[in-house]
Amino acid sequence: MLITFFNAILIVLITWLAYLYFDQREKAMPARERYAQLMRGVASIVDRLEGYDKEHSREIAELSERIGVACGLNDQQLQSLNAAAMLHDIGELLLPRDLVKSDKKLEGDELELLRTHTLLGELHLKAQIEDLDEVPTLIRWHHERWDGLGYPDNLKGEEIPLAARIIALADAVSAMKAKRDYRKRQYARDEDVVAEVKRLSGMQFDPQLVKTWIAIGCPLASIKQ
Amino acid sequence: MTLRLQSAWLLEAVSEIATIDSVFFPFVHRFSALNWLSRRDFALSVNAFSPSQAMLLRAWLDGSYGVFSERNLQKFNQQIKNPLDLSMNPFRAWKDRLFDRQQLDYLFYWREAAFEIEEESQREIFWSAVYQIMSYWLSNRACEVEVECRPDEIMGLMLNRHAEFIKGREAKVAITSLSLDELAPAETCLTLFPMVFGDEENAEMTLQVVFDAWHNGHDDLEQARRQIRMQLRKYQIDLARPTDYYTITKLSANSKITALIWSGLDLPPALYEQEMVRPLQKAFAARYAKSQLLMKAVDRTCDAYDYLLLFY
Repeated sequence: MLITFFNAILIVLITWLAYLYFDQREKAMPARERYAQLMRGVASIVDRLEGYDKEHSREIAELSERIGVACGLNDQQLQSLNAAAMLHDIGELLLPRDLVKSDKKLEGDELELLRTHTLLGELHLKAQIEDLDEVPTLIRWHHERWDGLGYPDNLKGEEIPLAARIIALADAVSAMKAKRDYRKRQYARDEDVVAEVKRLSGMQFDPQLVKTWIAIGCPLASIKQ
Repeated sequence: MTLRLQSAWLLEAVSEIATIDSVFFPFVHRFSALNWLSRRDFALSVNAFSPSQAMLLRAWLDGSYGVFSERNLQKFNQQIKNPLDLSMNPFRAWKDRLFDRQQLDYLFYWREAAFEIEEESQREIFWSAVYQIMSYWLSNRACEVEVECRPDEIMGLMLNRHAEFIKGREAKVAITSLSLDELAPAETCLTLFPMVFGDEENAEMTLQVVFDAWHNGHDDLEQARRQIRMQLRKYQIDLARPTDYYTITKLSANSKITALIWSGLDLPPALYEQEMVRPLQKAFAARYAKSQLLMKAVDRTCDAYDYLLLFY
């Protein structure tokens, strides 16, 4: 069973909290702000499950937005980008917890199972919320690589939608700097992160996006204080 | 030639019709698109449109190829300390148009080195790594991004990436490189036709042109381009040609389900119904009673959709 009892409870709880949240705040706050806060709440649960020491999903969303603005995305496209970035790893809620928080390098079936989080996230959201439009598809492709060696569909280059390419870059940048409760930081110094992103331009990342990211000052952490 | 094969979506759609354990691709646009299926124990029969594409399929998807050996890596991925004589380099015309001087030195050296590799499978892995490196260099050059990795370092990285990609893979991929006329239908549950409607050149096709010229040891891109276009044309299904209906029905004769996939713009479904679904329904009338057209929004920035047409 992919869905453990704990995860099932968690999902029900999130849905119930979301309902309560909307119900309570409906009159007090503009819809867009309510939506943003709800997203942040759900994303923080995923971050906690993944063992991050920070608001990883929110950081990715804000980094993605900065890159998206520099790429000239319009307001509607930025909204989709934000939602997909916030919820990019939501499929991990449907996987066993010990797999998601494993401190060993996963291989074989375990690795393949972990990689299904992209598909689970897409399927689950699509089944629950019709209005999300392209957001589930962006979630599906946030681990695709520019060189065609990512997953799940091994899309290559511009076959990958621009917004999914942006999330992939922001996710990697944020993860390189993040400390998880079962893993040390990959790169302690900011300049090492920048060097690694440049090194992976044209392999993992869209070179044009890397160029844009450099042009806006190589933002690493973007949470508005 | 933008074409997205969303394997999990395809299987989700066909799983309601039949259990699938084997898939036949009379044509495949890019080797890595088959990764998801080949990782999940599906028996795949794949027909590549060119010998170099068949080589890439073997090197990256055939588990029996294994990984590039450490011994060969040490022997054939040397660092070039001093520039080579450019006048000896058969690819010198590409200097500063496609590659810089150092990259050209390595392309020359790697091609010569590959012929020294005794085992064919090891040689093909090495060549396929050069394909990936060319892709990396060309895409960075197109965006005017300076490459940070040394060529021998990037070769090491690519071969590592290959080792990760092939690890745990079981050899269940039957690979051919025949024209559609010569190809026989495979005994599989599903026959899948990726549809390519135009032959406009994109980055992937340019890469194939450059790689094929390099692989054949010359710098004549026009010759390589003509060759690839000619090969690709043999696989382009044109539904205005009655013979192409015959090709589709002939090649899917031994399958329970036939699927056609394509990526395109947001056109009215009625147009697809009229131009594709109905003529194909007619062609398949003797074999399949039902059809289903599915579509999926993929990118609002350019109004892109993926389509899946099933006959069963």
